[in-house]
Amino acid sequence: MAKEKEETPQVSRRSTRYSLSNFNSNNGMETEKLNESCKTTLDNLFFGQEPISLEGLLSCFPGRRVQILEVLRHLGPINSSMPPMFIYGSASTGKTSVVLQIFRHLNRPFVYVSCLTCYSPRILFESILNQLLLHKKNAANGYSSAKKCEKPSDFINFLREALINVIDRFNGNSSKMSTSKSKGVQVNGRMIYLIFDSFELVREWDKSSTILPFLFGLADNLKMPEVGMIFISNTSPDMYHSSTGYIDPVPVYFPEYTEEELRQIFMINQVNRKLYSSFLDIVLRPFCRITRRVDELSTAISMLFKKYCEPLSDVGVVPNEEMKRKLFSHLQPHIAPALNEIFRVASHSSLESEANQETRRKGSGRKSVSCGDFDVIDFHMSTSAKYLLISAFLASRNPATLDASFFDSTGGSDGRKRKRKASEKTTGKKEAAEQELLMKGPGTFVLERLLAIFQCITSVGEDLLDEEEEGDDGLGVGGGRDGLMSDVLLQLSSLCSGNFIVKGASCPLEGSTRYRSTVSEELALKVARSIKFPLSKYLYRR
Amino acid sequence: MVRENGSAEEALNLLRSRLCNPNFIFKPLSNSPDNNYSKLKFLVSSSITEACNNSLLLLGPRGSGKIAVLELVLSDLLLEYPDTLSVIKLNGLLHSDDNCAFKEIARQLCMENQLLFSKMASFDDNSQFMIAMLRECGLAHKTIIFVLDEFDLFAQGKQRLLYSLLDAMQSVTSQAVVIGVSCRLDADQLLEKRVRSRFSHRKLLFLPPSMEDLQRLLEHVLSLPVESSLPHDYTVEFNGKLKNILADERFKEIINTYLESDSTVNCLLRFLFRAVSYMDLESGFLSLENFKTALSNIQRQPKQECIKDCSILELYILVSMKRLEVKEQNSYNFNSMMKEYKIIHDSFKTSDYYAKNVCLRAFEHLLKRELICFTDNRGYNQSIEFRAVKLLVSSVELHQGLKSYRSCPSILLKLMEH
Repeated sequence: MAKEKEETPQVSRRSTRYSLSNFNSNNGMETEKLNESCKTTLDNLFFGQEPISLEGLLSCFPGRRVQILEVLRHLGPINSSMPPMFIYGSASTGKTSVVLQIFRHLNRPFVYVSCLTCYSPRILFESILNQLLLHKKNAANGYSSAKKCEKPSDFINFLREALINVIDRFNGNSSKMSTSKSKGVQVNGRMIYLIFDSFELVREWDKSSTILPFLFGLADNLKMPEVGMIFISNTSPDMYHSSTGYIDPVPVYFPEYTEEELRQIFMINQVNRKLYSSFLDIVLRPFCRITRRVDELSTAISMLFKKYCEPLSDVGVVPNEEMKRKLFSHLQPHIAPALNEIFRVASHSSLESEANQETRRKGSGRKSVSCGDFDVIDFHMSTSAKYLLISAFLASRNPATLDASFFDSTGGSDGRKRKRKASEKTTGKKEAAEQELLMKGPGTFVLERLLAIFQCITSVGEDLLDEEEEGDDGLGVGGGRDGLMSDVLLQLSSLCSGNFIVKGASCPLEGSTRYRSTVSEELALKVARSIKFPLSKYLYRR
Repeated sequence: MVRENGSAEEALNLLRSRLCNPNFIFKPLSNSPDNNYSKLKFLVSSSITEACNNSLLLLGPRGSGKIAVLELVLSDLLLEYPDTLSVIKLNGLLHSDDNCAFKEIARQLCMENQLLFSKMASFDDNSQFMIAMLRECGLAHKTIIFVLDEFDLFAQGKQRLLYSLLDAMQSVTSQAVVIGVSCRLDADQLLEKRVRSRFSHRKLLFLPPSMEDLQRLLEHVLSLPVESSLPHDYTVEFNGKLKNILADERFKEIINTYLESDSTVNCLLRFLFRAVSYMDLESGFLSLENFKTALSNIQRQPKQECIKDCSILELYILVSMKRLEVKEQNSYNFNSMMKEYKIIHDSFKTSDYYAKNVCLRAFEHLLKRELICFTDNRGYNQSIEFRAVKLLVSSVELHQGLKSYRSCPSILLKLMEH
């Protein structure tokens, strides 16, 4: 069938290169695959992969033995009903993965929804119903749900019908299997479980007036002992407030990992265990003082591990005491700066530039690696956007009354403000002013002021550029400065969406919106340095 | 041995399903005279037999068994008076909106009487249908019982449903009983004047059970039935061991400690479920240890757990904020906290001094753990560093958390002690 399609492509509309290249080879097979995957069966309610044993489950999750056993005890033997369970613990403690793997081990059917992806009640209800009614959204039904369901009253009726349907089918299947004695029989039982993940987000939905007590009381309202509910949340149950109250579910607590457990986790799947273990001896304790979350630690120490292994020619070697000491002294100067960069996720270009810097510096002895990064911004901005950013920063920092003196035709303050000797009263006032700056934050400005400052400094920038005669920037400012205005307003809106500039409340008297710049002084200095703009001349220092 | 394991599992399943089934729990309470079950039954059955309208409220804290007792009464009455009774159930959480409520009433009436229900029916259609059904059922001497769960939520807003229901009962020849169930003890004070005048002020209070009732309840729930599929000797031994536990002083103490925090029946059932789930399947018997572990697992201190989860940098941030509060700074934000953090570092020369971006991230972690929160709700036009924050843990809790923290820096403890 594919061959026929190859001979007569019949491309009447414009098509992309990708679709053309795939069109001939895959088209026949794709439609067949679509038809096969259209049908969802009852098996979709199970985990779908090979079930694992209890020992496999416990070894997968070091440090979670107590919690896994507690959840298993609460779920109980097959076909036994349970009151709702509430699993809570801070982020990245393995709640979701443990629960899903437990269901893989037990091989019982479940319906999983995350309140993060289903961000409104309607999407939540429809997602649950789709899974229970074995309905898959695809092109054939226009990516719509099986039933439109917005209100909790409709949801509970549909849910009851769908659950009764599914449980009957399970009963039918199990009786069929016991009579036919087929091989590989699944021990289904009659229970089905609903798992609500990221449940703390439900509190924001309608200020928890009805949706939260409704979901907590769903088990009671349904009055079906074959349904078990599991709620997974980041926050403890005492942070859930509701004016009318609800019946508390049974809590299960997942504490954060201790250092020993973290060590066990990081040692999983390591090729060279002794080497990695000596590395963890050095690194784990200082990093654990900042955070004990697995996701943050793993990115931070993976980079360090590469550095740790640098002097080794053979990565598979087992280190003895002397080698350990050598590696430790090699790594030690990098630890302190790495601690201050622990939460930084390096972008691709900075990783490459670091690698280049390393090769250049290898011969020049020990130097701290990260000093190069401080001067360069690692994201790209157009020149006019950079000027806008600087203008916004200046507008927020400087009080409006001083604009005239800063931006007059002589091009910036020329040190006219000579500081008199500070008396006690002025130092006190200075501290109070500093305190106010700390508390209040950057000031607001109107759009006209921003554009006025922008015009002034671009003219300054023009002069500087002309002096240096660098043609490769290609600003085009000199040509049409008026032509830049529409660009500027576009840039302004993109800076707003990038959260460099934030829209504040509008002044009730004037009615114009005020903006506020959110960049720190470091970033503004970096940006100014990249376009060679003398920022410090324009900054108002108290 | 294998048979014992199987019977232990069967016993466990039996106990668990009992504890999740409210009808089973409240049955023994219906045997004694002059309690809510008999009063309710008398009221409803008299209004059925005398063919009159009635309304009453069932009030009591959550989990005291109001709906369970009501279900028992209704199921008994359905057996006694078949074909003269139909039950419509509404819930305030779901049906407080009048449109929803009438649609649900119409749907349930249609289901009861095998009529076709149209989803497109308008609000007026539904309400007229309800009034018509009331009239017809009244003429045919059938009683309709309306159960309004979460009654106080129906009493919010305009109370249109309540008014039209009670008004229809008075004006049309109908036989209806309206039973409101609420956890607010002042639910009848919420009613409007015109609704209240049509509502009879009968109230049944559901109080927490007395000690004797509790004892009977425990025995009733946890003893295995003698005539079941379980082996006889096992059952007898199980019940014997159970009697010993129930008579033990320590067990009474555990139950008392638990009931001091919440004395409703439902809460006790959650505790019993936890204890039963800890039952050792190899021996197949309940032990006092099960109850002890269940108590320690259910009574948690979430804020202490949260503090134990924090890293050392996050503890520094909390202590800096505490010191700012002690210095009577009414509002402070991340920047002022950083200043205090620097002061601590300078005066005590700690080894834990980290850069601003690291502290900001730890600050965000604390926000996520809900140990601190922003004081303003709409500060979306300010960056995180400038928004005012406050602590959500008291200084006593913080101090306790620091004391039980493993390897807490002694500087923090010293700072908290001032």
